[in-house]
Formats: sequence, structure tokens, C-alpha cells
Amino acid sequence: MPKAAAKKTTVNSFTHTRLLALLLTVIGLSIFATKVVRYDYPLSPGARTTTWDFEIYLDFDTNNQPVRLETFIPSNSESRRVSQEQFYNGAFGLRLDTKSAEGRTAIWTYRYPNDRKVLRYRARLVGETESTPLPEGMHRKLQRAAPETENDLERQAFLVWSTDLRRRSADDESLADLVLQEIFVDEDVDEVEALLSPTLPSSISRLALARDVLTAQGIPARVANGIYLDQARRRAEIHHWLEYYADGADHRYFPGLDPEEFFTIWHGTDDFIRAEGISDLDLQVSIEPVNAAVADVAQRVARDEGSAMQWFGFNRLPITTQLVYQVIVTIPVGILMLVFLRQFIGLQTLGTFMPVLIGIAFRETALLNGIILFTALIALGLAVRFYLERLKLLLVPRLATVVVFIVICMAVVAQLMSNTGQRIGLSISLFPMVILTMTIERMSIVWEEYSATDAIKQGLGSLLVASAAYLVMTNPTVEYFMFNFPELLLVIMAICLLMGKYTGLRLSELIRFRELDTRK
Amino acid sequence: MIGRYRALRRAGLLGINERNLRLVNELNPRRLIRLVDDKRETKRLAMAAGIPTPELYGVIANPFHMRHLESYLDKPDGVVIKPANGSQGNGIQVLMEPMRGGWRRSNGQRAMLEDIRFHVNNILSGMYSLSGQPDVAMFEYRVKFDEIFNPISFGGVPDIRIIVVRGIPAVAMVRLPTAESDGKANLHKGGVGVGLDLVTGKTLSGMQNGKTTDIHPDTANPLKNFSVPHWDAMLEMAAKAYDVTGLGYLGADIVLDKGKGPLLLELNARPGLAIQIANRIGIRPLLNATLEADTEGMDALARVELARKLYRQNVPEVV
Repeated sequence: MPKAAAKKTTVNSFTHTRLLALLLTVIGLSIFATKVVRYDYPLSPGARTTTWDFEIYLDFDTNNQPVRLETFIPSNSESRRVSQEQFYNGAFGLRLDTKSAEGRTAIWTYRYPNDRKVLRYRARLVGETESTPLPEGMHRKLQRAAPETENDLERQAFLVWSTDLRRRSADDESLADLVLQEIFVDEDVDEVEALLSPTLPSSISRLALARDVLTAQGIPARVANGIYLDQARRRAEIHHWLEYYADGADHRYFPGLDPEEFFTIWHGTDDFIRAEGISDLDLQVSIEPVNAAVADVAQRVARDEGSAMQWFGFNRLPITTQLVYQVIVTIPVGILMLVFLRQFIGLQTLGTFMPVLIGIAFRETALLNGIILFTALIALGLAVRFYLERLKLLLVPRLATVVVFIVICMAVVAQLMSNTGQRIGLSISLFPMVILTMTIERMSIVWEEYSATDAIKQGLGSLLVASAAYLVMTNPTVEYFMFNFPELLLVIMAICLLMGKYTGLRLSELIRFRELDTRK
Repeated sequence: MIGRYRALRRAGLLGINERNLRLVNELNPRRLIRLVDDKRETKRLAMAAGIPTPELYGVIANPFHMRHLESYLDKPDGVVIKPANGSQGNGIQVLMEPMRGGWRRSNGQRAMLEDIRFHVNNILSGMYSLSGQPDVAMFEYRVKFDEIFNPISFGGVPDIRIIVVRGIPAVAMVRLPTAESDGKANLHKGGVGVGLDLVTGKTLSGMQNGKTTDIHPDTANPLKNFSVPHWDAMLEMAAKAYDVTGLGYLGADIVLDKGKGPLLLELNARPGLAIQIANRIGIRPLLNATLEADTEGMDALARVELARKLYRQNVPEVV
């Protein structure tokens, strides 16, 4: 029997394709299943987020005076890391001061600026919770010492009050509770009102007082400043709280509601921003949650170091390379959709993969801007193309002229955008102009040889497919699955193979050959 | 939609996907397609096999040859300029006769030498070729078409398309120019396609722009019951085209010249499917029979006989 099988040298190509597709699907899905079942890879981009994108945005007027602008930025510690830091300095000089115990400081300087300036700082950070330990430096009992105050009267009052509190408490922890109770909860405690520093804003002055009392009693304490991480915010508020170490345990006291997650930017009572030579400062601190499941996966991969699964993912690559692959692996999904639209629906487009390329270009402009820009540039380009037709130029120089024209158009768009303060001006610079030019050329040939309706129909078809491809390729679920389960590429390949053997009619043919429908 | 799908399948409709897979991919190896994509090559092969084609006056393959342009155009009977690698009739320009400093085009407009030079340049730079590759411009005898189709054509050359599968002619239609198609016989430009009975060479009903029609849109004459002259010769030419190219699925485009009889214009390795609408039949049953037929040792004439037999068996006769 095996001989008979061996005799049949040429396997039917249909069977061959099906077997290959089956094999690819089985391999792809079994890697996928192993990851999900054995290694607990999460199947959806999780809702629980602990990673956040953080941005400080400073917008201010300058007036031909030397400018010095200092701002605290998040620093690394034992329990957390700040990654993917980026500084947008413009013409400013940047210096980082990491020596201070209060936090890291970015110092921007410029001697003769004018007009309005923008400075930005971006980083990715992991949130802290109540259980995040305080640094080792805090875990040390201090000597009891009286604080240095400006006058003896105040010093006296402070001593009397704190000694009284000490007498009424049993240990460090109850002492701290008592202090916080008197300062933040009980109203109109005379000693407290008298001792509050007049130079600090009231919310911080109470925290500063609590810190002073605690440290005077030998309890390590500090004022922490940062943001609460609850949801994406364009203007996050800076909050202040107290951190102290009493009786072998870490404590945090938040005036007002306790946040579930927060992030410390700096310590102490200094201002967040200290600036000279500027006016009309607009400060925006924004936060945005980052897909947490991706971070989870990364942790799992790190744990499974040495297992085979680490090879079926991109997490071992440098972050910048990962970001590139995050885009690349979604392209096959867009192409899969294109194949479907062409083979099963029969949609007509300009060029084979042109729409997917346009869809990729939309990534940089976002959909609506992309469509407007695309349509406008194509229309302008076509107009120039038809004008050049009269000059009777050779093909390649004519194409080149159109490319140059498109570049000029894009430069003008970028100028207009930056004048009106729009941000997309920056991002369109990479909008692939060669693709645009080829689209214009193809469209103009269709226009001449067939008709304007055909050309516009195909142009619209391409735009439609490009938009659909863009939506599919930027879908968070698609991005998540393709990036974390790249073995699914094998399944996509299998589907493409099977579609390559489809001999049925296309949807468009049902319309085209409607006259042959003999049902009456 | 599903009902329509089933009905069309039952009618034996062949779709683009199936044509590409079962006919073009299976029967037309890539290296052979090259032979018909280049019309000079087709012409050479046809001449060697004794298939008549329009006379080639000259070729402009690069700007250096452009100095011959005027001598190629210097024909009192007119001339046809076409890209050697063009597709779907793109880039073809028909000059009827000289006319006050220029030439009269088939649509009546006057083309100046400068216009023609520009057109030839476009052809050379690959504007009309399949993949934008640099191309060659051909100058050919302009066919004086037989008057038989005068009542049902408008300003241009009607041509006859015969689809040949494995050397067996399968279906045929005549393509008629209209005012809309600018004197060209291409269906996608608005030409009228009229189905032909493969056995008798008589016209059946027609179609234009995807819709069936029984009269010519410009002349309003009925399309039915014209007998194509030299029908046997045309079938034989089409069958022979298989022998010289080896292409298992091809469309032979033939024109009927007043003096010279049928001339092979060009061969197409991916003929379209609109012929099904023109003939008002789905061609799958006929194709399946043709694909299975035993042609061992048959010459062109024998295959034409076989074609007539298969056609009668698989296509209901229209009375």
C-alpha cells in the first residue's frame, strides 16, 4: 500500500495547499496554545494598568532675558525604574542635577530667548502603591532633636506641644497617629495654627509641620510630592503626602482620599518648578495608562528565561526595535484584509498593495487628517499632472516634477499647521510622497484611458481599503495579539494560501453578470 | 445574494478567480505569456506559421529611431501606432489619412506631428506597458474593414475574439465600435460585444457596458443574424495560434480586411469574461468538456471539427 502512495508523485495541488495550510495552522495555534495555557499569557490587553506614560509640558513667554528653569523630574530608585526618557529642549541647554536628596532636577537654560517657548519631558514609569517600600535610607531611627526655628518663642511652643503629644502616646506609631490627627483632622488646635509656616501654601505647610514634629521625635519622615494615577489625564494635579517609618513599618499619609496608585516625583517642600526670566507659564503634567498586559508578558518572558517560548516573541529586543516590530507585524493583518476584499469582494484599487502602504502612512497622521491630506494632495497632484500633459514631457521627468510638487505641498502644509499650533505638521513629514506620486500617475492613466468615473472609483476604493487597513492595523487587540503572539503570522499565511485556491465567484461578479441570472 | 450566487453557478458562469487558477495559471506558463505580451514576437510567430497579420511598417525602439517617424507615417492609407507591450487596447492610435499638416485620427480629430511624437515618447517610456517597463512603438498597416458590419458599427474596426482552450476554439464574439468607444472595439470603453454561434459564425444577441442589448446603440440596427465571412478560416487561424504559442488559454483577436481577408491582430493570454454576457451563457460546462477532450495527434483542422462538436453538445442552439 505505501508503494501505491509513493507512486503518486504529483499530489493534487489543492490537497497540497490544504495540507500546508493545515500544518501552518497547527504549528501556529499550538505555539499560541502553549503560551496561553502553560505560561498564562493574558489573552486581552488587561484593564489593570501599572505602567504609565508621563509628560511634563512647559509653555511660557520669554522676554530677551536669560532664562533658567528648573523642574523636578522622576528619579530611579530601588523599587522603580523610569524608562524611555525623552527631553524636548528646543534651543535650550539642559543639565541634570541628580545629587540632591529631594529628587532629580532638570535645569534648562537659555541666554537670549524671545517669543513663546515650549519644553517637554516624557518618560514611562511604573506606579507605586501603599505597599511599595520606602527606601533603605528611611529605615533608620533618628536622634531626637529640636528643630531649628526662627525665634525662641516658636521653638518653645513646638517643644511644649510635641512633648505633650509624646506623653499622650504609647509608641512611635501611636505618636504619629496623634500628630496627624491634631494637624489634619481636629480643627483649630491653637498650637498647630501658630506653628504653621506662613511662607508655604497651606496644604504643604501642614505636611511640613507633621514632618518636623515626627523627625524631632526621632521618626524618619518626609514630604512627598507627585501625582495620583487613576485615569488618563491631560492636566494631572500635583498632590502632596507624608511618608514616615515608625515601629518597623512604612507608612504613608495622604491628606484627603487615599489613591490606589500614585507616583512620587520629588521630596521636600520646594516648588515643582523654579523659574527666572519667564512669564505666563503654562504647566501641564499629563499621564496616560500603557497597555499593562504587555508589561505582564515581558515579566513572564523574563521569568521563563531559557524556555523555548521566549523565541516566539519580541520582548528580548531593544525597546526601539520592539516598537518598529509592533507596527510591522500588523501589516500582514492589513494585507489579509486586502486579499479578502480583492478576491472575495472584487474591490478595485490602484496598485496591488498600494492601499496598505497608504494605510501605514495614515498611522502618522491619524485617520481623518490622513484622508483629508491624501485627498487634497492627490487632487493637487492630478491637477499639476494634467497641466504638465500640455507641455508634453517625458515620463520620468514628469513624474519627478510631480514628486517635487508634492514635497512643496507638504512643506506648505507643515508650515500652516505649525502656525495654527496644530501638532500634525510634525508627523506628516514622513507621509510617503513616492506612494502619493505613483498613485497620482496610475490614477491619471486610468483617467485618460478609461474615464474620470473609473479613476475616481478606483481612487475611492483605494482610500476605502486604506482606511479599513489602517483601522485594522491600529486596532489595540490586533496590535496586542500580533505583537505578543507572532506565531499567528503562520495562521495568516495559511488563510492566504487557502484564499489562493478560491475559485468561486466574487461579490462584484454577482453584479457584473446579473444578466445571466436566469431566475425569472 | 446567495440566491444570485447559486443561480449564476447553475448557469455555469466562470469567475475571474477560477479563470486565473484553472486556465491562466494551469495552461499558460509564464515564459510563454511573454510571447504574446510582445506584439512583435506574436507577429513573427504568426508569420512563420502562415497566419496572416497586418503588415508592419516599422518600429521605434528608442529616441534615436524617432527620425524615421515621418517616413513611417507617410502612408496615404493611414497607419496604426501601438505599443508592443500594451494591454487592453491602451495606447493605440489610429491615423486614417494625411490632413492639412497633420493626420486625421479615427475619431475625426486632427493630430499634429508634435502630438504624435509625444504619444510615441509616452509609449517608449512605458506609460502603456504592463509594468511600466520601457516599450517599443509599432507602426502597422491600417485595416480597411469589410463592409459586412457597416450596419452595426460606428467609426472604427470591428474585430472578432475567439477564445481557444488547449487549441480548441470554445467561444467567440464580434466586438463592434460605437460612438462611445471612440472607434475602438474594446468592450470596457463602451464597445458592443455580440455573441457568435461557434458552429455557423452567425451573430446572436449582444451586450454593451455589461448590459444585454439586441440593437446597436448608434445605428439602431438589430445585431442578430449577420454571418461572419471566412468563418472557417478564422477558426483555423485561432486553432493554429495555439500551435505556435503553446498557450492553453488564449484569446485570438482577428479583423476582417476588405482585400486581405481575416488578419490576426493580436493574441491575449488572459482574455476576459465579458464574452459570457455577449453570448448569454456561462461557459463552465463547455470549458470542462474542452479541458477533458482528447486531442492527441490532432492538427488545427481536426480540433476545429472537435470544437464544433463540443459546442453543439454543451451550448443550447439559439433559434
